[in-house]
Amino acid sequence: MANDNAQSVTTSATVWNGLFKENPTFGLMLGMCPTLAVTTTMEAALTMGISVIFVLIGSNIMISVMRRQLKPHLRILMFTLTIAVFVTIADQFLKAYQPVMSEYLGAYIPLIIVNCIIICRSEACASKQGVWISTVDGLAMGVGFTVSLSLLASIREILASGKWLGMTVLPLAENGGWFVPWAGMGMPVGAFVTLGLLLGLAVHLTKKAKG
Amino acid sequence: MGNHIRLFIRESWLLIVSSFLFGLLLAVTDAAWSPQIKQNELNKFNKLAAGLFNKEGTTFEQVPDIALDKGKGQKIPVDVNKAVLDGRCIGWAFVAEGNGFAGPIRLVVATDAGFEKIQGFGVLACSETPGFGDKIKIKDGFYQKQYQDAPVAPFSLTKAGDPSAIDSTIIAITGATVTSEAVVTIFNRYAVAIQMQLKAKGLLTHGQ
Repeated sequence: MANDNAQSVTTSATVWNGLFKENPTFGLMLGMCPTLAVTTTMEAALTMGISVIFVLIGSNIMISVMRRQLKPHLRILMFTLTIAVFVTIADQFLKAYQPVMSEYLGAYIPLIIVNCIIICRSEACASKQGVWISTVDGLAMGVGFTVSLSLLASIREILASGKWLGMTVLPLAENGGWFVPWAGMGMPVGAFVTLGLLLGLAVHLTKKAKG
Repeated sequence: MGNHIRLFIRESWLLIVSSFLFGLLLAVTDAAWSPQIKQNELNKFNKLAAGLFNKEGTTFEQVPDIALDKGKGQKIPVDVNKAVLDGRCIGWAFVAEGNGFAGPIRLVVATDAGFEKIQGFGVLACSETPGFGDKIKIKDGFYQKQYQDAPVAPFSLTKAGDPSAIDSTIIAITGATVTSEAVVTIFNRYAVAIQMQLKAKGLLTHGQ
């Protein structure tokens, strides 16, 4: 009974960590490369996020299963090998069933292999915890990352084009409305400025919560 | 010796077994999805090439045994297709590739039936810098337009000039000289070589 209770506390803490306390983007500041590069549109951000969730869950489960057999000197090699397999599967799947998005994201899908979030969770969680906690951790971290990317992408897409997921949400001046799109939000400068403002907001809210 | 082998197996069995199982998993996924990936590539080629001829109902017939000389006796096969409309050859389309600024560039190039004039080109794959090198993708943009109706002959690149003049001089995209040069190099490597091989095979019959 006590064990069940401990397990449930750990599970909820793992979810809380992944989504808020140790959010990959705003807490740990990991995976900044895709955060800046693929947040021009919401569709791209969601595709990247779902791919990262798949890789995180898959690699965390595999590493957790083999954690007792891992030799210290082969640890990183095994992590990389496992992550590479799941990234290759995600990349192949997108090429087969989402060819336009696969082309749009280009090298950023294969580059998930070197995304620090994945290897960080392999080392910090999956190589030490059981399959259940590792799965929850992969899901929570992946969802946390996806939510962060989506937040950034929503702001950038709306301000750069007046649209969100292809739907017009701000009346464009060229169609008789009042909104003039900010071209800069679709460029790298828009990514840096938006990320900086959101990070500032995250730090402010964290400090406020701590009192 | 026996101790060494035992030590090797003890230390690395997990890596060996995992590599084998992961390889098997990748082989299964590749077998399942590679036909769809190839079909997607074919669809993209057909769509781009048909767009370059701008005639509805154009179909493509692959021409076998066309290859580029890579040197040292090595050959690279080239995907050359005859564009057919109502039973008549209306042109040729081939896939050409080379290295750009940020990675490989793959083009579909279309020519007229006599393989004397370029109809235009489309981009199958390119990861050039957004806003600069990726301007080669803009259909009917100033860079692509320079190739339309240009002769099948070696091109040269220059940084300034009149882009509306249709000849063998190509004006580079500002800020993307490497990408512009890469496209010129791809054309120079493929176009004349393929023209000579089609001529040698007696396939250039001007629409017959």
